Parts: sequence; C-alpha cells; structure tokens
Amino acid sequence: MVGAFETSGAVADPTQAMRLLWLVPVLPLAGAAINLFIGRRLGKAAGWLATVLVGTAFVIAAIAVRDLIAVPAEARVYVLHLFDWIQVGAFRVNVDLRLDALSATMILVVTGIGALIHLYAIGYMDGDPRFGRFFAYLNLFVFFMLMLVLGNNLLVLYLGWEGVGLCSYLLIGFWFEKTENANAAKKAFVTTRVGDTAMLVGLALIVAKFGTLDYDVIFGSAGSTLTKGVATAIALLLFAGAVGKSAQVPLHVWLPDAMAGPTPVSALIHAATMVTAGVYLVVRMHPIFELSGIALVVVAVTGLVTSIYAGTCALGQDDIKRVLAYSTISQLGFMFLAAGLRAYAAAMFFLVAHAFYKALLFLGAGSVMHGTHETTDLKLMGGLWRRMPITATTFVIGAFALAGVPPLAGFFAKDVVLEIAETGEHWVAYVLGTFAALLSALYIGRVVFLAFFGAPRSERAEQAHEAPPVMWVPLAVLAFGAAFGGIVSTDADGRLAQLLESVVGGVPEAIGGLTTPLFFVIALGMTALGLGTAWFVYGSGRVDWLALRVRLAPLQRLFANGWYIDEYYATVLVAPGKAAAAFTAYRFDVGFVDGIVNGIGGVVRRLADVGRRLQTGFVRSYAAAFFVGVVAVLVYVGFRL
Amino acid sequence: MRTPIAYFLVLSGVLFAIGSVGVLIRKNALLIFMSVELQLNAVNLALIAFSRMHADLTGQVLAFFSMVVAAAEVVVGLAIIVSVYRRRQTVNVDDARELRW
Repeated sequence: MVGAFETSGAVADPTQAMRLLWLVPVLPLAGAAINLFIGRRLGKAAGWLATVLVGTAFVIAAIAVRDLIAVPAEARVYVLHLFDWIQVGAFRVNVDLRLDALSATMILVVTGIGALIHLYAIGYMDGDPRFGRFFAYLNLFVFFMLMLVLGNNLLVLYLGWEGVGLCSYLLIGFWFEKTENANAAKKAFVTTRVGDTAMLVGLALIVAKFGTLDYDVIFGSAGSTLTKGVATAIALLLFAGAVGKSAQVPLHVWLPDAMAGPTPVSALIHAATMVTAGVYLVVRMHPIFELSGIALVVVAVTGLVTSIYAGTCALGQDDIKRVLAYSTISQLGFMFLAAGLRAYAAAMFFLVAHAFYKALLFLGAGSVMHGTHETTDLKLMGGLWRRMPITATTFVIGAFALAGVPPLAGFFAKDVVLEIAETGEHWVAYVLGTFAALLSALYIGRVVFLAFFGAPRSERAEQAHEAPPVMWVPLAVLAFGAAFGGIVSTDADGRLAQLLESVVGGVPEAIGGLTTPLFFVIALGMTALGLGTAWFVYGSGRVDWLALRVRLAPLQRLFANGWYIDEYYATVLVAPGKAAAAFTAYRFDVGFVDGIVNGIGGVVRRLADVGRRLQTGFVRSYAAAFFVGVVAVLVYVGFRL
Repeated sequence: MRTPIAYFLVLSGVLFAIGSVGVLIRKNALLIFMSVELQLNAVNLALIAFSRMHADLTGQVLAFFSMVVAAAEVVVGLAIIVSVYRRRQTVNVDDARELRW
C-alpha cells in the first residue's frame, strides 16, 4: 500500500513525516475498527488504545507541520495522493491529502486537543457498559474530522463533513436509553441536514461550472469562470452548510440540546472541532466569498447576530453545559464575524484559542458533574473550589480566557477580531462585537461565581470530590494552552497570521479607527465590567440574585428558552410538517395510494377466480392439452413450409 | 446395401405414437413414465437415423445427451413416484389432484 503512493505538489522535497501524513487519519480509523470489533473484550485498554493512536497521529502531524514550516512560504503546499476515487468521463475525484498552513493548523487542533479529551474520557467514561464503543465512535469522529480538513477537494471534505455529522449523532445519543437523548441526537442530525442539503447543491453548482471539485482548479480559475451572481450563489449555499454545522442562527437550535451527550463529546465535537468545520469551510473557500463580496457581508452579519443572540441566551441558562453550549454558539459567531471581515487568520486564531479554552471549560464542567453525582444545575452548586481545587483553578483560567483577561489566549483572539473591525472602520461590527464580548464576560463570570464560590447550596455540592489524575492532567494541559496559547499571535499580524498568509492572504489593511490605547481601555473595560458585574450579583453576597431573578422573570424566561426559537420552529415548521405527514400517511397513502394498489389487486384476483377453474388437477387432461398444442404447432409449421 | 432411412423413421414414428397414446390413456404413473421413455427413445432413433443419412456425428452426440438427461430425469421421476406411493399407497395420477385451484 505504501509503495503505491505518488507524491506531487509544491513541496519539492517532502520529508519522511510528510510522506507518512496518511497515517494521521488512518491511525484513528484503525482504532475505531479495533474498538468496534473487540472493544468489549479490551476493557479499559480500549480507551488507552484510542488515546495512544490519536496521540501518535498528533506526533506525526506535529513533525510534518514542523517540516512544512521549514520550507519557504510560497512552496508550503504538499499534496499526498492516496488513490483514485471516482472517475466518470472527464469528472474525476481523487482521495488526496493536502497539507498547507490552514489544514496544518486544523490537524494540530484536532489531534492535539482530541488526544487530551480521549485521555480525559478514560476517567470520565469509567464503568460505562459501552466503554469500548464510545472510544470507537470518538476515534471514528477524529478520522472523519481529519479527512474533512486534509481533503484536497470538496468531495473528500463533504465525506468528512457527513462523517462527523454521523459521529455527532451517534455520540449525542450515546445514552440512547433516555428518550430525550435520542431525540437530541435526531434533532442535531436533521437540523444540520438542512444546511448540508444546501451545501450539496453548492457542490453540484461548482461541478457544473468548473467540472471538478479540486481546490487548486477552483481557486485558479474562479475569477475567469464565475460571474458575481454565480459566485454569490455558490458562496451562500456553502455558507448554509456552515451555518448548520457551526450552529449559527437560524440553524443553531440543535447545539444546546446536543449537551445530552457525554461531556467529552461536548468538548471535542461541540466545542473544539466539528462545530468549527463551518469556519474552516468559509476560510478554505474564501476566494469564492471574496469574488461575491455580498456573501462576506452575509457571513459577518450572521456571525454578529448569532454572537449577541447566543450571549443573551447563555445568561439565562441554569444548566452549566447549556451555558457553555450557548457560549460556543456565540464564540463561533465571532469567528464568522472575523471571516466576514476578511480577517481569515484572525478567525483561525480565534478557532484555535477557543478550542483550548472551551474544551477546558467543558472538561471542567464534566469534572464538576463527575464529582457531584451528575449535578448540572448551577443553582445546586456553590463553593466547589474548596472541594475540587484543581478543577476550580483550571476552570477559572478557561473562564478568564473566554472573558478576555490578558494575557490569556482569549484576550488576544477576541481583540484581534475587534481590532480588525475597528481599524477597518466597520463600526457596527465593532460596537456589537464589543457588546457580545461584554456578554461573554458576564455569563462566564456568572458560572464561575455560582459554581465555585460562595456557600454550597446542596448536599451534593458539599460532598463533591476532585477528579482522578487521568481527568485533571488534560485539564492542566489545556489550561496551560489557554493561558499561554495567545503568544503565537498577539496582534492582527502575529505569527499564526504570517503562517496562514500563504493560504488566506494578508490581513485587511487598517484604514483608520481608534487609537491603540483607547481600544485596549475599552476592551479591558468591557472584560472588567462583565466580570465585575457578575461578581457583584453572584459572588459578593450583597445582591439576592434569586430575588432579582424573580423580578426579571419574563426576561429570564426569554433567555432561558433561547428566545423561544424552538417553540417558534415547533409552531411554524414542525406542526405543519407533522400535519402534512399525517395527511400523506393517513389520508393520501391509505386512501389514494393503497386504494390504487388494492384496486388493481382486487381486479386481478377476480380475474384469477375465473381463470383458475381451468386447472382441473387431472394430469392426463394437461397431457392431452399439451399434445393438442404440439400437433397444432406442427400443423401450422407444416403448412407454412 | 444400406437400409433405407424411411424404415427407421417409420419405426421411430410408430414408437412415438405408442408412447403418446400411453401417456394420454394410462392412469398409472409408472406406466406413463415408461411411455415417456418410449417417446424419448423414438426421438433418439430418429436422430441417429438422420445422423447416418447426413454422415454427420452431431445427431449421435445429441442422442447421447438426450440419454444422459433422460437418465437424470428417470432418477428424479422415480423418486417422486416412490414418495407418492409411500404417502398414499397408490400411483394413480387421477388421485393426486390437491394442487388444483
């Protein structure tokens, strides 16, 4: 198998690690296969096997990326041909892996954070009757995610895209014995399908216009092939897929419910990797979006609306995981805002930083649940830091990173986006983005003070216990990343931006904006205001927040129910859909379709009642008929001669 | 001097007619079966006669084929007759008529 690989691409002299790039997706796939077939017999080793395989993939990926960075920037593309997949006439699709700055960033996040979450899951899923199967799904997810980002054409991306959707479905519904979990899985799958269908139409449009799905051909000839209208159509159709996958308004409704899955799944799939696939898609396809222009505005507006909407929803949630889910939606909105402002490198930087601190926050929430007998209600927590100091410390680091406290990663990531909005004089984006940042400081401050400080508000919180090392070691590593990850890119033209320049071009030019000190004063002021307010209301003990909550009940209910968008969909889409389904099933199908089928059956039956009297059952009469027939044929043939 | 072809064909025709009448009028499955064999062999005779007339061995080859097939058919047919007999102590074909409408 290895010998059959051909290599081509701009990297003149690929190193051994680059040639072994195929191992990066194949190792998790092998882990999935092993755990699927003999995972039950492996016992606890199933988790270690899965973790080690993803960890090995990370090491290979890291060496390959190091070698990639060593070559000059203009030659930083390496394509590894695996095999021909589809060939119909002139249309052909190969399974090729493409290593460039963009996919390099993604595979490091997927395998690196993925390995840590696998390790954590060994502790978290301990004692689950389907332990091996959990890791099989998790590994399969990593495989599909890697194919999504490494594919050299849109069909391989789409394969990964649907594959991660499948794994998301399997893992959200992992504890399918509870009906609500199974329903959440179904909801996630169906909602993302809405976007995926549009995306598939977009791919068909690309094939119609270019005759291929290869990135190089599309980007090479997009300017001369596409009119502005067609580019807009393709960009918006692809973006619809991204909206579904990345849970943006209006297709965001599945993500809060997806928290029904085990917490490591929420961390890996619904915070760090799968939901960021939409951002990756927009960044990867940015030449088409730029050609359209208007599509970028749609991306930015969607991101902005989503980030503020989800920020308000996060304020009203009592379930710690649902706060984080809405927070993820809000933060993904920030990434789309960045991409819409052509700050692709900033979007990717935000993606990486967010992967660290949001995975950390989810795993911290999981650790809290693990230590308090699956308590998720913030009202029943309080004072946990005494009981679980490591979880509390790491969670606070993650929360501060999310809130934008310098010098943590989230501070730089958020400020790079806002800085680009402000220096580009996109004032609406800047003001609303700053407001969204304020909201994020507020809701995460609320979680921190409600969960970890004050007095315990339930027996479970009093008797909480710290997580085992297999769980807190990943927390510590992620906290380290969330704390110092920002160093790779401290401003709009930081190291990551320079690395990505070979794929996404330079940063948008500054045309004005605020002075730098004023910008930082506002940014830090918002963080301080958000965290300070959260402390005053929930942490200081000077405000009776439960009474405040009763006084603001209508607003609280609006936020807690996500502005009733689920109910709105239930009335406008689901109820008519069910009515239409009931009509087709019980009226049209039973009355009309079955009527035709039964009618034809009845006629045939009545004819047969007549015809079957010919069958007398006497063998000799059959023989006689046979004989007469033969004679008749012979006579006929004889006369014709 | 060679025997004229007509002799063979007449003999073949007579045998075939006997077989046909046997199939049509007999009630005993075993006798019907024998009559069918008679028809088959009548045809084989005609095949060989024509083969000799045309000095072409294809006819003889075909006759061998038909013998082999007939042998196989005998095996299956007799087995059916035996099992029918075991079940109802008779092989009268007029009695076996459950499968009509």
